[in-house]
Parts: sequence; C-alpha cells; structure tokens
Amino acid sequence: MGRLLLIVTALLFLGLFLALPLLAVFAQALAKGFGAYYIAISQPMAWAAVKLTLLVAGIAVPLNLIFGVAAAWAVAKFDFRGKSALITLIDLPFAVSPVIAGMIFILVFGTHGWFGGFLRAHHIRVVFAVPGIVLATIFVTFPFIARELIPVMQAQGKEDEETALSLGATGWQTFWRVTLPNIRWGLLYGVLLCNARAMGEFGAVSVVSGHIRGVTNTMPLHVEILYNEYNYAAAFAVASLLALLALLTLAGKSILEWRQPELRHAARRPRDRTRRVNT
Amino acid sequence: MSIALRGVTKQFGEYAAVENIDLDVATGALMALLGPSGSGKTTLLRIIGGLEKPDEGQVLFDGQDATLWPIGDRKVGFVFQQYALFRHMTVFENVAFGLKVKRRRERPTAADIRKKVQDLLALVQLSWAHDRYPAQLSGGQRQRVALARAMAIDPKVLLLDEPFGALDSQVRHELRRWLRRLHDELHFTSIIVTHDQQEAIEVADSVVVLNQGRIEQVGIPGDIYDMPKSAFVHRFLGQVNELPVQLRDGRAYVGPIDISAAADVQTGSTKNIALIRPHEIEIGPAAAGWPATVVAVRVIGPIVRLELCAAGQPLHEPLEAEISSERFEAERFTIGQKVGLRFRRWQVYPAAA
Amino acid sequence: MATTASVALEGRKPRRVLPGFGLTLGYTMLYLSLLVLIPLSAVFIRSLSGGWGHFWETVTAPRVLASLRLSFGASLIAALINVLFGLIVSWVLVRYTFPFKRFIDAMVDLPFALPTAVAGIALTALYAPNGWIGAWLKPLGINVAFTPLGIVVALTFIGLPFVVRTLQPVLEELDKEVEQAAASLGASAVQAFCRVIFPALWPALLTGFALAFARAVGEYGSVIFIAGNMPMRSEIAPLLIVGKLEQYDYAGATAIAVVMLVLSFALMFGINALQNWASTRHGER
Repeated sequence: MGRLLLIVTALLFLGLFLALPLLAVFAQALAKGFGAYYIAISQPMAWAAVKLTLLVAGIAVPLNLIFGVAAAWAVAKFDFRGKSALITLIDLPFAVSPVIAGMIFILVFGTHGWFGGFLRAHHIRVVFAVPGIVLATIFVTFPFIARELIPVMQAQGKEDEETALSLGATGWQTFWRVTLPNIRWGLLYGVLLCNARAMGEFGAVSVVSGHIRGVTNTMPLHVEILYNEYNYAAAFAVASLLALLALLTLAGKSILEWRQPELRHAARRPRDRTRRVNT
Repeated sequence: MSIALRGVTKQFGEYAAVENIDLDVATGALMALLGPSGSGKTTLLRIIGGLEKPDEGQVLFDGQDATLWPIGDRKVGFVFQQYALFRHMTVFENVAFGLKVKRRRERPTAADIRKKVQDLLALVQLSWAHDRYPAQLSGGQRQRVALARAMAIDPKVLLLDEPFGALDSQVRHELRRWLRRLHDELHFTSIIVTHDQQEAIEVADSVVVLNQGRIEQVGIPGDIYDMPKSAFVHRFLGQVNELPVQLRDGRAYVGPIDISAAADVQTGSTKNIALIRPHEIEIGPAAAGWPATVVAVRVIGPIVRLELCAAGQPLHEPLEAEISSERFEAERFTIGQKVGLRFRRWQVYPAAA
Repeated sequence: MATTASVALEGRKPRRVLPGFGLTLGYTMLYLSLLVLIPLSAVFIRSLSGGWGHFWETVTAPRVLASLRLSFGASLIAALINVLFGLIVSWVLVRYTFPFKRFIDAMVDLPFALPTAVAGIALTALYAPNGWIGAWLKPLGINVAFTPLGIVVALTFIGLPFVVRTLQPVLEELDKEVEQAAASLGASAVQAFCRVIFPALWPALLTGFALAFARAVGEYGSVIFIAGNMPMRSEIAPLLIVGKLEQYDYAGATAIAVVMLVLSFALMFGINALQNWASTRHGER
C-alpha cells in the first residue's frame, strides 16, 4: 500500500516536471501543422544557427577531449601535491553562473577589456563574434570529459601501463595501444555529455554573442529571438530539434551505461584519494 | 643475470616500506621473497623491476648500476597477481605485444613474431587459445598467458608478484609445479613474491624472509624451516606452540621439563620463550612426561591433530601436537585421556618486548 | 653506507616511472590558467576598479539585494522540493520494479541534457495562463508564469537530477543484509528507515541538496522566460548582471558577480569537504 503510494507520487512528480515540458515542446512545434514546422526549420536563419551550433561544438568538444585525457592521465597515474586542488579547479565551471562565464570573456577580450585595444588594432573580433562563442562554450563544457575519465582511469589503475612499459613500449605506444582502448567507453560517454552541453549552452553564449542574426546566433539563441518576436511555432520548431538532440543524448547515455555499468555514477562519487600502498 | 641490492631503502611518506636491504640473487636462481603484508616484499620487487625508485641504495644487474634505468631498458618480465592482460587484445596479440612495440630497427618481421608467439603458447600449453580474449579464459590460463607474454621479450629476469594468489588451491598447486619445471628447463633468474610459506618452500631455490621492511633470514627452504634465526621466522614458517621458559637452580625449564643448562639458553633477555612445532611434541604414557589431558582430536587425512591441556597451563590455550595416522591407529588417543608430554626439538628466543 | 649512487640520488627528486607527467600536468595547468584562472581573476579585479566604496554601494543597492534574495531564496525552495521528491523518486527507482522503469530512469537526466532555453520556453508555455497547467490553476487564483513561483518551478526542473543521481548509488549500495538484520531484531519498517537507512543516506542527501542549490543559483536560460523579470519582484541576479553589461557598467556587473562567485565557491568547497568527510566516515564507500 505504502509502496503503491510512493510509486504513484514519484511518477506524478516526474510526469509533471519531465514529461509535460517535453511534450509541450513538440506539441507547440506542431501546433500549426507539419507544413509550418518544415518551413520554420528550413529558414536560412535557422540553418545558419544550426551550422554555427555544429561548428562551435565541433571545435569545443575535441579541444576539451584533449584536455580531459591529459588531466585524467595526470590525476589517475601519478601522485602529486595539490592533486585535490586540481580536481576542484576542474569542477570550477559548475559553480559559475553561465552569465558570468560569458562575462569573463567580455572582460578579457571585449572592447573595454584587457586585450580590447590590441584586438581592435589588429582587426580581430573575439567578443560578439564566433571566437568568443567558442571560448565561452569551451569554458562551460570542459569539465565534462575530465570528470568522466578521472574515475574511470583511477579505477583501472596503473598495472596495464606498467606492464606495457616493462615489455618495452614507449609512453605514446602505451597510451594508444593500452590506455585508450581501456577508456573508450568512458571517453565516448564524456564526449556525449560535453557535446550536449556545448550545443545547448545558452546563458554564456547569449552574453558573448551580440545576437547578430545569421552570424552569431546559435540554435538556443535563435530560439530566444523567435520567441521574443512572438513567433512561437517557429521558436518551438527549432527548440524541438534541440529536444531531439537531448533525447538522442539520453539514449546514447543509456546504451553506454548498459554496456559499462561503472559509468553510471562514476563522476558523482567522491574522488579517490591516493591509493593504498600495497607491499 | 645476477642481481644485487645494496642498502636499498624506500619510504612512502612517514612509512618505511623497505630499509637498508642487501641481497644477492645468483644467475638462474629462483628466489622467493616471503613475508606478511606490509613486509615490503612487493615494494622490493617493484624496485628491482624499475616500477619504483629507491630513496637510497643501488640495484645492480650483472654488476652494473641499474638503479636509475627506465623500466623498458631493464629487460625484466613482470607477472602481476591480477595478470594485467590487455583485455582488448587476443591471447596472441597479448603475447606479441612486447615484440610489436620494439623500435623499427630491432623489430622482428611479422613472420618471426608469429613463430615466436606460437612457440611460447606451445610452451605454456595454450596454443588452442591464441584467438581467445582474456575474459574467456580461466584464472590459471590467464596467468600462463601473462607468463608467456613476459617471456616473449627474452627477459633477463622474471619478476612474479603473488602470481598464484588469485587462484583456487588446486590450480595453485598445479601451477607451482609447472613453474618449477619451466624454470628447471629454461634456467631464467626469477624472483617470486609470496605470503604463502608453503609456496615459497615448494617452489624456490632460496627464500628471503622479510618483516617490516627488513630481511629476517636468507637461506634454502630446508634451513629456513629447520633452523630459523628468529621467533618471527619460526612462527611464520609453520605452526608453533609457544611456552615460557623458566630458569631455576641453574637449569632451564619448560613447564616441568628440564630442557638444558641455563647457560645454554642465554639470549640476552631475562624473559624467554620456547617455540615447539606440533610434530616435535612426543606423546607417551602419563607418568613419562609432563602430565596433560587430551581435549580434542582431529583426523585430517594422513595426520592427526591433538589438542592437549598441559598441567599448569591455562585451559584456553591448549598445545597442538601432530602425529601420523598410523601412530593414531596404534594408540587410539581419546578425549579426556591422560598422557605425558616430552619435546623432541625446541628453540628458545627472547620473549617479544 | 653511502655509495656513489645514493649520493647522486640525494637532493634529486625521484623521476616518475610512468611517462608523461610533465606533459599532461603542464598542459592541464596551461589550459586551466588561460581559460579559467585568468579570466576569473578579471572579474575580481574589475569589481574593485571603482574602489571598495563603489563595490559596496553597488552590492547593497535595493534592486541588487532583491535580486540576490530572489535567486538564493528561490533556489533554496527548489532544492528543498527536490530533496523531498528526489528521495521518493530515487527510492522508487532503486527498490521497486514497474513497467518502463528503465526508460523513466533514463529520463531523469533530461534536465541535464535539454538546453536551458528549450526548457525555459516549454515551462512558460505550460504555466502561462493559457497553458496546459496554467489554465487549470488560473481559476484557483494561482499564477505561476511571470511570478516568483514560476522561477521556483523552473529551478526545480533544473535541479531534479542532482538529488536523484546522488542518492541512487548510495541506495543501491545499501547493504540489504543490514536492513534484514534490523528486521530480524524486531525493528518496524519505519524504525528501520529512521535508524538504519536514513543515517546512511543523509550525507548524500545533503550533497544532492547542495548541488541542486548551487546549480539553481546561477541558472539563467530556463528562468528568464518564465520569470516576469520585473525589478525588485521577479528579477534574478544573473539577469541584473546582463543588464549592467549591456549598459557597460562593468564595475557593477562584476560586483554582483563577485558576490555570486564567492558564495558558489564556498558552497562547492563545502560540498567537497562533506563528500570527503562522508567517505572517511563510512569507510571509503
């Protein structure tokens, strides 16, 4: 009896907060019919937004991938002072509001910023242009891959790498042939999450982009513009593409978690301190 | 290749894992590093192999100072307790790994690699498994693959870190014999770390007993067992009974048994204990020795273990004696029976502080 | 017994055995410095560019205080809602089976994966006076959209996964045998929960709360559509920052940002310390 009550309560809560908003997106997108939907998403401005979103993600994710692998290698394979501080530093963007994340790049690269004069003199635009958007996106999304990889690599320990080295492999050979295959699911998982966030980031990009239609609007920003023009059906149409992306991400996440159950809560556990010495 | 350690010390923070170790391993010997956890045996192995750098001291390979050589240059073969097989590679690829990652100049041709791997797999009797993945093999099979992989690079020394620890006792027994035979055939220098004294005695040419980072004793297995130099070694190498030694009127006594002149048991300490192995206790008629009562009888295959409460000893600390099952058939000791105890052998040590 | 080798080793840090330490740590620190440390320091430096007095004035202006109160207050309420319902949801997901459970479990991460702007307009559409839910509530006199209540709803959505995902592993690892032992010793279900289960849960509960709270405080995209954005009433702090940026009042914008950052960092350190403490207490779980 109590069990039924709990289940119903849980399902109602989830239904209210998760299912309804998701359904609302698609319902509103199709409110004027499939024809209007198709027109909305094939507008040139919409396409420009899609292309920009893909470009930004295409730059941010690989860069963060390299960072994530490097950081995870340093943290998981070595002991050094300040390791916990480093891990906390990596988590920093999670404590920073997206608006502040965008603002910091205006402070550094904007016209009144530290490098403002230098950039203007060389006709380089960072803020209110694509580079600024890329930077803000990188800032907001770089922890994702590192956070997934660190526990995965820590759990795997150093033995495989030590073995490879004892068999005569160089550092790079060890990395490519031994480490990478071992972490590939964690890597994919991190990339998936990083990508979802990169494509969907709104606050930070909004501050930094200047909202120049067709040039510096990513898909989330384009949604906002359409919405503010009361063009609701079009706004939801573009939003539905993003919602589909979210669903794909969730599906991919589930598949990877099914394949590699350790990934499920890896990043949320308290970080491992130095491993016990085994004599 | 011979190995020598001089003054090797390694600390982890405050904790001294190994202290001032001097050791010599002869070419072609199979040496066991034996000790409880925390004794430093794995640390020592890793220092020899280059996985740890000592804080002080030298590691010499054939007389050359190899202390700072990187792992790849040492030509050592490692076999870990958890095998560390590359799980995304087949058995064949695992064994071939060391050959495939060699520098271009030194790398054998694909055909040579294939031949060598096949030979090694035949040696470890796993030719049929060449295209299997480690997850598809049993623990014992995986360990043999790990050995083949280590041998592929023609190592000068094989280092095994509790290689059979994760296996069932039957498999352990078989693999021990197999390793010994392999060693006798191929004569590589090997060092094996173990906490199992049975394993050390069965497999090794010489045994080094370690305790808390220091060497307690080095010797051939028989000597370590029969002539232990310290109470620690004596206790670690098998079961013992411990009894206090009392000095009276110039004689030394264990219970009522006069074991020798007091002068013969001078250990430099005022309190001493005698360690006596279960099979070193003689059980006779009640009047012929220290009076005792049989409190438990356990028949275990070829031996019978008796627990005896000796007069004057606390009830909850009976002595353990072992006799052959033939003797037991003859005497048929029963619970409650009164017997007399004598000691065939014993060793006296200072009582621990 | 000093040999030549040990003399050479003295005063030399032992070289690392695995390669790549310098490379990876160096690259990591470079990336972090360029991307995080230096830009963030710009916030702090700029906030004081008008002097302490100006900083203090800005931060204590009524409109700013109202927005900070709103951001933190609404986040607190939302996080508390998530704690209560998150506990129920994670309990149900871990302990019971029902149709489509795996699908529902996967969907809990939707707020993570869905872009905030999409969430924002969807929630607004739902709770606006003519929306699916808003239409229901209107006759009851409850307005959600364009009021602080709407902000709480949006922040509840955003923080939902944090509590659930923090609790799930702890619940999963909870030794069934411990509960069975309690039952065999005569404890009722409620007693077992209060005395055996809850003590194991509350660090994770607190962590989940703190995470949800921290996330909600800085949230922008999902809130600005559903909030009325009226100064002093339904204007969240991040929006105020954006406003000041558009007016080029960098000193003002950064001042507010500093307050938010300091509080968020304090929260984050608190969360980490809590996790450390909990893991040592429960023996490295």
